[in-house]
Amino acid sequence: MELLVASAIGVLTAAGIYLVLRQRTFPVIIGISLLTYGVNVFLFASGRLAVNLPPVLTKTAEGYSDPLPQALVLTAIVISFGMSAVIVMLALVAYLSADTDRIDMGAEKGEEN
Amino acid sequence: MNHWILAPVLLPAMIAALIVMFARHEVERQRVISILGTLALCAISVWLLMLAASGAIEVYEVGNWPAPFGIVLVLDRLSALMVLLTALLAIAVLLYAIGSGWDARGKHFHALFQFLLMGVCGAFLTGDVFNLFVFFEVLLIASYGLMIHGGGKQRLRAGVQYVAYNLLGSTLFLFALGAIYAVSGTLNMADLAQRAAEMPADEAAILRVGAVLLLLVFAVKAALLPLHFWLPATYSLTPAPVAALFAIMTKIGAYAILRVYTLVFGPDLSVMDGLVGDLLMPAALLTLIIGMVGILGSTELGRLAAFSAIGSMGTLLIAIAMFTPEATVAALYYMVHSTLATAALFLVVDLMTEHRPGAKGKIIPSPFHRYGGLTAALFFVSSIALAGMPPLSGFVGKLMIMDAARDSDLVWWIWAAILITSLIAVVGFARAGSSVFWKSAQEAAVEVPAHDDARQSESLALTATIDIIGAQVVVTELAGPIAGYLNATAGQLYAPAQYIGAVLRLEQG
Amino acid sequence: MTLFLIVLLPFVGALVPALTIRAGRDVCAAATGLISVTALGLLLAQAPAVMQGEVVHARLDWLPWLGLNANFFLDGLGLLFAGLILGIGVLIILYARFYLSKTDSMAHFYTYLLLFQGAMVGIVLSDNILMLLIFWELTSLSSFLLIGYWRHLPEGRQGARMALAVTGMGGLAMIGGMLILGDIAGSYDISVILENRDAIQASPLYVPALLLILLGCFTKSAQFPFHFWLPHAMAAPTPVSAYLHSATMVKAGLFLMARLWPVLSGTEIWFYLVATTGLVTMVVAALIALFKDDLKGLLAFSTVSHLGFITMLLGFGTPIAAVVAVFHIINHATFKCALFMPAGIIDHEAHTRDIKRLGGLRRLMPVTFVIAAIASLSMAGVPLLNGFISKEMMLEEASHTVWLGSDLFVPVLAPVGALFSVAYSFRYIGHVFFGPVRTDYPAKPHDPGFGMWIAPAFLVTLVVLIGVASDAMVGDLVATTSRAVIGSSELPYYSLKIWHGVTPALFMSIIAIVGGLVLLSAHRPLERLWRAISVFEAKAVFDAVVESIAAVGRRLTDGLHDGSMSRYAGVFFVTVLAAGGLAYFGGAVGAPTRDPLPIAVVPAIGWLLLVICTGCMIAYHRNRFLALVLMGVIGVIVSIGFAYLSAPDLALTQLSVEVVTIILLLLALNFLPRETPRESSQGKRLRDAAIGVVGGLGVGGLVYLMLMSDFAQPTISAFHLENSKTGGGGTNVVNVILVDFRSFDTFGEIIVLGIAALVIYAVTETVLRGETGRRLARWMPPEPGAGDRHPLMMVVATRVMMPIAIMVGVFIFLRGHNEPGGGFIAGLIVAIALVMQYMASGFAWAEARQRFPYHRMIAAGVLIAALTGIGAMIAGRPFLTSAFGYFQIPPMEEFELATAMAFDVGVFLTVVGAVMLSLESLSRIARHAGETVNLEPMDVMPEETETPEKETQ
Repeated sequence: MELLVASAIGVLTAAGIYLVLRQRTFPVIIGISLLTYGVNVFLFASGRLAVNLPPVLTKTAEGYSDPLPQALVLTAIVISFGMSAVIVMLALVAYLSADTDRIDMGAEKGEEN
Repeated sequence: MNHWILAPVLLPAMIAALIVMFARHEVERQRVISILGTLALCAISVWLLMLAASGAIEVYEVGNWPAPFGIVLVLDRLSALMVLLTALLAIAVLLYAIGSGWDARGKHFHALFQFLLMGVCGAFLTGDVFNLFVFFEVLLIASYGLMIHGGGKQRLRAGVQYVAYNLLGSTLFLFALGAIYAVSGTLNMADLAQRAAEMPADEAAILRVGAVLLLLVFAVKAALLPLHFWLPATYSLTPAPVAALFAIMTKIGAYAILRVYTLVFGPDLSVMDGLVGDLLMPAALLTLIIGMVGILGSTELGRLAAFSAIGSMGTLLIAIAMFTPEATVAALYYMVHSTLATAALFLVVDLMTEHRPGAKGKIIPSPFHRYGGLTAALFFVSSIALAGMPPLSGFVGKLMIMDAARDSDLVWWIWAAILITSLIAVVGFARAGSSVFWKSAQEAAVEVPAHDDARQSESLALTATIDIIGAQVVVTELAGPIAGYLNATAGQLYAPAQYIGAVLRLEQG
Repeated sequence: MTLFLIVLLPFVGALVPALTIRAGRDVCAAATGLISVTALGLLLAQAPAVMQGEVVHARLDWLPWLGLNANFFLDGLGLLFAGLILGIGVLIILYARFYLSKTDSMAHFYTYLLLFQGAMVGIVLSDNILMLLIFWELTSLSSFLLIGYWRHLPEGRQGARMALAVTGMGGLAMIGGMLILGDIAGSYDISVILENRDAIQASPLYVPALLLILLGCFTKSAQFPFHFWLPHAMAAPTPVSAYLHSATMVKAGLFLMARLWPVLSGTEIWFYLVATTGLVTMVVAALIALFKDDLKGLLAFSTVSHLGFITMLLGFGTPIAAVVAVFHIINHATFKCALFMPAGIIDHEAHTRDIKRLGGLRRLMPVTFVIAAIASLSMAGVPLLNGFISKEMMLEEASHTVWLGSDLFVPVLAPVGALFSVAYSFRYIGHVFFGPVRTDYPAKPHDPGFGMWIAPAFLVTLVVLIGVASDAMVGDLVATTSRAVIGSSELPYYSLKIWHGVTPALFMSIIAIVGGLVLLSAHRPLERLWRAISVFEAKAVFDAVVESIAAVGRRLTDGLHDGSMSRYAGVFFVTVLAAGGLAYFGGAVGAPTRDPLPIAVVPAIGWLLLVICTGCMIAYHRNRFLALVLMGVIGVIVSIGFAYLSAPDLALTQLSVEVVTIILLLLALNFLPRETPRESSQGKRLRDAAIGVVGGLGVGGLVYLMLMSDFAQPTISAFHLENSKTGGGGTNVVNVILVDFRSFDTFGEIIVLGIAALVIYAVTETVLRGETGRRLARWMPPEPGAGDRHPLMMVVATRVMMPIAIMVGVFIFLRGHNEPGGGFIAGLIVAIALVMQYMASGFAWAEARQRFPYHRMIAAGVLIAALTGIGAMIAGRPFLTSAFGYFQIPPMEEFELATAMAFDVGVFLTVVGAVMLSLESLSRIARHAGETVNLEPMDVMPEETETPEKETQ
């Protein structure tokens, strides 16, 4: 199981990095989202893995998975949601006003608004 | 439990919420609320500084849960200083934004401004690494909004880059935290400090990775080479008041480095064996060089200011990277200077841009329609400050850093870098200034173009700028007492036992 | 105490000109003059004591931490220089009053002048080398302003920049030197340093310190090869040239050499460096001066030459030579100033300084002629004038100086320099004043008014008086100053008499004068020769150097920071990986301590699916729609994974966030290109892939290590598990952590969400207002959408779902504290329901039916959360301290109320408000782009039923 999770995170990260290095805003955003998945699972994994041990207190449970990383990941998910909303919107208006969705702005450097 | 420690975080948040709630449509009302709130923040932070000056370390356990299980805010000399610096900068910048009418060129300026203050103060006060992450995000997302305030093709595109780059930074932050928690099992800095000290050597690798990744996160904020690439475009295209406020944002990176790598992963922590300093110092030297060379190379005022910001961050990080009490005193003094000087320069550059409609911020001769002489004087003074020429705080700060560098084994490199880059900066500023002001002196004054937004008062903007420069004069005048306070601050930083004891409620005897 | 006043007065006084200029130029000049006079008076009041050999001290701690203190002291040397600076300052102010034309801003001029004066006095009175450095750089800055005073002149700009660059460089080098010096001496106070001669000269750092300090002195005093800036500084108004660039500032270097003479001089390296530089400068500059046609150029180089003269004397390192140096400093100040002023007068009257266009002024400007003649004769070293005596004494010293074993080198070259000096001095007289009166002067020259010639007249009187009765005039001053310079009370034997008997020096003088006259008579042919051989122009070289540096800088910075985000990101990743690797391989890793969980089938399939989807993503990401779908799938798999790995809350959150994000992206994609073009080359893609793979391996490896080994130290979450129910009143520990243990995080988190919405709203507003808005209005969808925009089925479905969704939301919210769920997830579910409504029935319809403005919802959410926390404060507890209790309302079963729930309400509101505000903003763009809106709830073909209406701002 650990191997699966580790490799999955690795795959997500690799793909994310590759996409972030593209030239257009859209793939970059997708790439960042993949990285976010990766890091969320990573953070979650920092509490180690457990099956059928949800951190909900019951009389019968013989143990619980680490709740703290889960709380952290929850916060992280929310925050990254807000962030990606902003960057999506920003990419959109940037495209609408500049008529290009290139993320590099070398060519027009120096020209004013 | 002193509730005032919470105020710098809670007050701006409430102010912002109130603005959104009740003043969404009336700029005037927003301005009033915003100013009142910021003034209150100033007052509170002055009082907090006096509190911290006594040397006591005040801990505030949010939610009444003891550290390390809950989140604590910690007020020591350093955090008090940073909060005060933030508040003072904020009020001046706010006045400028109002005076120049920048705040009316888009929606929600004041709300975002206040939220940014909340994030910044929170980052300075928190004693919990994950909470630090949260506040980083708060101030970042607010900064995104402020950075693209007013819109414009170039600005929006630069905004996309700025956001994207910082999202990478935030992701890295989480990776670092995951790694750190996975071995140490804690998030509280003081607790982490203890655990890092007792960390069994054969578990060190992951912790080291976490520590170094964290350093890189802070390095992004502090615009340390080679993670500074987000800065030039962002700062040169950001609305001037925002850029001026960003002067404190780079310092957050510097603060975090100083805090974490003296308290948690201290310079003599066995598992790190000085790795942090070794990574930091060369990068800082390069940052200084790139920044100052950039001043000479710039063809636009905005980029000139941006690169001088990088340069002064380089100088600051050199001082930090030495990780000795003396160097830290110098670093802190220079940090105060650099914040004010950078902010002032951005505002002056804005004045130069606004009053030279012909030039569009380029470094070319073009007539002023107003305030030519005054702007020239202001530019002269703020260049002197940033180039580190006497008589302003920049020179004193550089002297202190060079003096403290004596014991470093890189002393010759440091001195050479600082002195040579100072010369480059002087030449760069002289070229820019003389071609902007002297060449254009002869040309006749032109018509005053009516600016798109009404409701602006030039005099307020000018006053705000002059205030920041005046603050530098004060900082220079009072160098003695300030150095005294900073000396005590460095003392606290390099004797973390007190901090740890206060946070973890250890009865230290 | 007085010393502070003397230094401060000019600085404070710098405000006076600006204040008084309104009262007229005379008042302004008078007021300015008064300041210098007062300062001079204060100084002279101290003079008697100093003459008695006393040293006046004034100390004020400024930055003791660094040893940077405002300490001043006044000894003979300080007295002499301060006297020169202030005294000549007064004359200059007087002269400038009449020199400046109506169009020049007198206030600026006097302000800069006083600033300079203050800085200069500061240098000569400082008892702290750091303090001295500050004033030193201040002189560079103020001279920058003064040289550039005539802003319209390009020469002024260039000259100013060059002067600043060269002297600035020297100053910076000197900072290094001074820091070393202070380090060796253990103090930055000059009076202390002066007592540590042996320690300093023994130190291994003596040589670097000396080199750096001398670099400062040589650049400031325009010593070869740094002499080239001074002639270009002559673009400044003549009063400035007379003041800064002959009498005072350029002597700062000499002053410092004299000041540190006791500790630095007397070594081999000192002798060879200083004496040689001085000698070479003296000869070379004198030669150049001979062929300068610009009157001020000639004087500039003569100044350089005489500075070399003095430097050489200081370099000899013998007390007697030092005495001569001091004496010549006085003489040079007097006659050189008296030479510049006439040059200014001529320029002022004849409107040219070109010697070739002058001549015959003897009759037209008799007064000026007399003044200039006396002064230049003194410069030439003709008997009965002060220049003669010091030159005699110099030659005397030179005559028995051995250089690298040769006892001819100096004795021969020194007279040569003197010879040239004679030549150009006579040229000043001969080619300007003698010869026939010309008719082609640019303007008819005549003597200026009294005000303009009185100052130089006064100076030449001194020249003569010192020349005939030097002992009576300046004997004591020279003695006192020399004592200060050589740092001992007993002086060597010397005499300031005119007649020293028949000495080698006398012969040298005679040779010099005769030879000089001969040389001048042969000026024309020599000049042709000179023009032929002199190809090398220092300014051109300097400009080229600076330009190339600037160009390199521009290429470097613009090249590196060209806005190429993909490169920036690449650098970012590589840096992170490198640093991470460095850190990792520097530390050890323990052996695995956990045994892996078994791999069940379902997760294995999920894993496979995830890997495949990610692979497809890479392969097909150019098809953006497909990319979105894949992303959705990946998100779902991740949330299922969370569920499987006992994180139900995460699963729910991830899922709901996924939905909203995808919706957002879909709406955005509506306006973005549907395809990503293939741009990056094969090579770049391979490189990026490589970076990606390394990153993936690194992260994956790290996780695996983490997962296989236990916490090195016990984790704090055990505490949370224990206290969740008892202390937090909830059994769902994750939720309790969110709303209680770490509710502060959550507080920040919802604020992030709120800000996100505000930002999105603000940027939409801005864009729609601008020209983009107008472009949008003309926007046409890339391909026509499906025929029926609001399918009946979906409309009905969503309408029915709405209340159910709300119910679910409330349910999820309430159980959140004890079961998976909570305010955040509930908020998202409700939001999703509303969004469905929007998508199904069109924005306008839904908006018309929703009551509350989302802004307020967000604000209210934040406020409620905050107030919940503040409630605890009122109860005397820290912010966000939770309280909970169990209540019984028959017939309902017992239920729990916790303040945490109020907090959660805040979360809920913020989430809904934020999500909705964002989507609404997006919809505004859509409507702006002319997407049709249906007012009837169940229209099937809006295109037919009503005409599309556009939102209008």
